[in-house]
Amino acid sequence: MQTNLLSKVTNDKSIPMSDSIDHPQLCQWLKAVAETRDKRAFTHLFAFFAPKIQRISRRKFPNDAQANEVVQETMSNVWRKAHLFDADKGAATTWVYTVMRNVSFDMLRKIKGNKEDNLSDDIWPIAESLQAEDSSFEDHLENKQLLNVIENLPEAQQQVVKGFYLMEMSQEQLATHLNLPLGTIKSRLRLALAKLKVQLGEKHD
Amino acid sequence: MIKHHPTFELIQSYVNGDLPASLSAGISIHAEMCPKCQQHISQLTEQIAAVSFEEDSFDIEYFEESSFEENSFEQLAEAGDFKLNIDEMVSNITQSKDITQVVSSTEKCISFNNKKYTLPRALNNMQLDKPVNIGKLSRARIQLSENEIHTSLLKINPGGGVPQHTHNGFELTLLLDGSFHDEQGEYHKGDFIMLDGSHQHNPVSDQGCLCFTVANGALHFTQGINKLLNPIGSFIY
Repeated sequence: MQTNLLSKVTNDKSIPMSDSIDHPQLCQWLKAVAETRDKRAFTHLFAFFAPKIQRISRRKFPNDAQANEVVQETMSNVWRKAHLFDADKGAATTWVYTVMRNVSFDMLRKIKGNKEDNLSDDIWPIAESLQAEDSSFEDHLENKQLLNVIENLPEAQQQVVKGFYLMEMSQEQLATHLNLPLGTIKSRLRLALAKLKVQLGEKHD
Repeated sequence: MIKHHPTFELIQSYVNGDLPASLSAGISIHAEMCPKCQQHISQLTEQIAAVSFEEDSFDIEYFEESSFEENSFEQLAEAGDFKLNIDEMVSNITQSKDITQVVSSTEKCISFNNKKYTLPRALNNMQLDKPVNIGKLSRARIQLSENEIHTSLLKINPGGGVPQHTHNGFELTLLLDGSFHDEQGEYHKGDFIMLDGSHQHNPVSDQGCLCFTVANGALHFTQGINKLLNPIGSFIY
């Protein structure tokens, strides 16, 4: 165990992280906001980021009110989008920076061009987290496809597959539940899986 | 194989959010097709973010030492030139129960002469005009309200081209599909071609192509009879 822990590289990004930012702590707070809507963790994040966002925004926006609006809007997005942050894909600072940059971009367009088209999230998908979202969405689609294929199995095989994989019953439980010998459950499952493989395989070619 | 990429300066301004929407979209579309630039952008974003958020003296230790009492934020607020009421803002924000769901937006398409193209994600919420045809060229203006900067989708039908011209300002041509060539060589899908007034060229597409173009000045036709076209130079790009 000990060696495992030691050999585990926490963040193998090529960018040397500066010592002055406690990145793991920021990640932990963001996770707490995402998972438990932790207001105290959010307060920490706010205290860390808000003054800096304000200072950065004062360089882009002509007055305090607009800079403060960037702070308000960015931190609101952090609160509402924390679940989109993926610590494996980058630092918390990168993620918050992306949120802030996008908020500023849309606001500047609004001020300069009077356009409220909010293009930023199309131009810069919220860091890589959007890709993560996409891939889970694809999984979701494949599940659907898988379900379709299962629906096409003979009724007897369907029962076993659904019970075993979707309801997570054991083969023994299924045998009792369906009042069938365990051997029958096993062979139906094997037959069904062979069919699923063929059908899914065909579609994946 | 993509051979033409945005310069470092352009990518940096893109990461900073300092480019107009038209050019930002151009870089975003290019990066989607170019893993090299995508990686470059990710690294630069990470660096710029780290630098942006470390540059002042508000340290996390401050809180850890103060064992996190309510009034520590007030002290913090007074410590800098920060005039926001942190407690009030935090409680306003955290009152919201909303969680932003990411909906994968539907793909946007455009048809030129019955050929349908799926547009890149960056253009999803941009307003597109109906295509206008000029000979073998079709152009659909993208309405971004960026004053002298004009953004378009330009379809060159097989055998078509844009007559020899220069640019008053810059001209970005990003190849979304197909290929074209000019005096400098052949360009392919994904190429990001940024030209300025010092360049003259006469792009021709044998097989046809679709480009995303951004220009901040009218084209200036430089050869023979095409000079007559100058009044419509601003019409094409």
